Amino acid sequence: MVAKTGAARSNAGNGLLPMNLRTREALAAYLFLAPFIILFSIFVVRAVITAQYLSFFDWQILKPKRPFVGLSNYRELFNDDVWWISLKNTIVFTIMTVAGTTILSLSAAIAVTKPIKGNSFFRILFYMPALLSVGVVGLTWGWLLSSQFGVINYGLSFLGLRPLNWLGSEVLVIPSLVFTSIWWGFGFPMLVFIAGLQGIPEMLYEAARIDGADGRQLLFGITLPLLRPTMLFVTVTGVIAHFQVYGQPAIMTGGGPGRASYTVIFYLYEVAWRSFRMGYGCAVSVALAVIMAAFTIIQFKLVGQQAEY
Amino acid sequence: MKFSNSNFVRHFGTYFFFLVMGIFVTFPIVFAFSQSLMTNQQVNRWPPPILPISPTLDSFRTLFTQQDLKIVLWLRNSVFAAAAYTSAVLVICAPAAYAFARLNFPGKKILFGFLLVTVMLPAQVTLIPNFLLMKDLKFLDTFHALIWPGAANVFGVFLLRQFFMQIPRELEEAAIIDGASFWSRFWHVIVPLSTNALTALGILVFLGHYNDLLWPFIVTNSLEMRTLPVGLQILNSSYAGQYRPLVLAGAVFATIPIIVFYIIFQRRIIRGVTMSGMGGR
Repeated sequence: MVAKTGAARSNAGNGLLPMNLRTREALAAYLFLAPFIILFSIFVVRAVITAQYLSFFDWQILKPKRPFVGLSNYRELFNDDVWWISLKNTIVFTIMTVAGTTILSLSAAIAVTKPIKGNSFFRILFYMPALLSVGVVGLTWGWLLSSQFGVINYGLSFLGLRPLNWLGSEVLVIPSLVFTSIWWGFGFPMLVFIAGLQGIPEMLYEAARIDGADGRQLLFGITLPLLRPTMLFVTVTGVIAHFQVYGQPAIMTGGGPGRASYTVIFYLYEVAWRSFRMGYGCAVSVALAVIMAAFTIIQFKLVGQQAEY
Repeated sequence: MKFSNSNFVRHFGTYFFFLVMGIFVTFPIVFAFSQSLMTNQQVNRWPPPILPISPTLDSFRTLFTQQDLKIVLWLRNSVFAAAAYTSAVLVICAPAAYAFARLNFPGKKILFGFLLVTVMLPAQVTLIPNFLLMKDLKFLDTFHALIWPGAANVFGVFLLRQFFMQIPRELEEAAIIDGASFWSRFWHVIVPLSTNALTALGILVFLGHYNDLLWPFIVTNSLEMRTLPVGLQILNSSYAGQYRPLVLAGAVFATIPIIVFYIIFQRRIIRGVTMSGMGGR
């Protein structure tokens, strides 16, 4: 949406305006932009360039010498088992979370847009977890999922299931973090889907109903195809957000058991602020940026190039 | 007959969904609240008690008096930093958004396209360089580190630009005829018409900053400069094993302001978030 509405919205008379007025307008524009551009240059542009530059150095914050090492940080990264484990965990976490979040938020959006009593109350209620800080979410869910006195295990005991070690088992730890993250994060995509659903003309449904379509046909024939741009937005922003997961493992598992819940950002923190290896840390973050860009492009290809974004 | 029957079933399904989802969403919060009113012995028991039989405020008393937990100060830090950050974002992004929405200047397309591309970059790429910059500027462990690095908020510019472009140009024309400067067109015409968008962005940006964990964790280190999310992490790592209700009390303490804020501003928040979702990121 943003890209298309584009920049050049010159009003028709502009070509006739005297030169000095156009210059004045441009000058005013630069002044309006100045504070933003200055801060943006320092904290984004400079930072991104610096990250790439530093990734060619063996920059350890506690050592006085910072030798240039060329690509050796990237070579090390390529052979770094912990990096690959973190990346694998992050990808699995992201795919599961985005899939779960999308399904849950779409179902919730469909439910609360039905013209029935109480729908706006539930809309407000369902959005609540999204407002909590990851600290609150982590503390609460860490306790709910506790193996010893956890209430989730208690609930499962009614179904005849043995208590599971949710956060202490290598197999279950990522699904547990996924579950927590879905609970925390489905509110935003839900609101986006609601907006998308409200943008579908009611006429289409009426016409289809007259033709005898049932609920499922309406869903798969009208709702889902028309929600394609919304779906793209939700999944792209979801992937970008969840790929950078840090708080859930940091608070709930400390990356454990072993390294079973190391994520890329968690590893980045370990490298840069526990081992003080800034150069190597920059290589990690640059690699992350490249991988995320690749993921974003793949999604655009998969979900549809025509969707407006 | 058949129709109304299936209608009932469909609505029954929706209400059932509401019920299950309602429990799913509220149970963790209610449970944390409930167990924060228990003693350590009551909490560490099987089956886990759900309702406090003899509620006690012990854990909250400990929370406010423990020497290494400065939770009220952390809350104050969080609120102050988030408020200062929000003001900075609004003051910096609104004029920039106006320039993109209404003014013509050489380089506009290129600059805007460039901003669009940077949105794809994960913010974490800037983590180390900005940390090192904060260190060199001696901003570590000060509010400066919590305010400036994110103040050039691209998302804020996009959102406001989108909104400004929807304001009819005619409304500015009277001011143009009066020979008003660009600044007074922006300040006296556009800003008063955009209070909704500005509030929406303000709320979003405030909440995002208030809940941030990693950056404040990295750039603060004294107990007095921590923010609430970082403080909760400290609380969790030092007390989760030995005094669980205290940890839950911390979570409840951090949740209450947010819930109150949400109850007051629910409509604005929902509308703001929805707007941001539609305006593109």
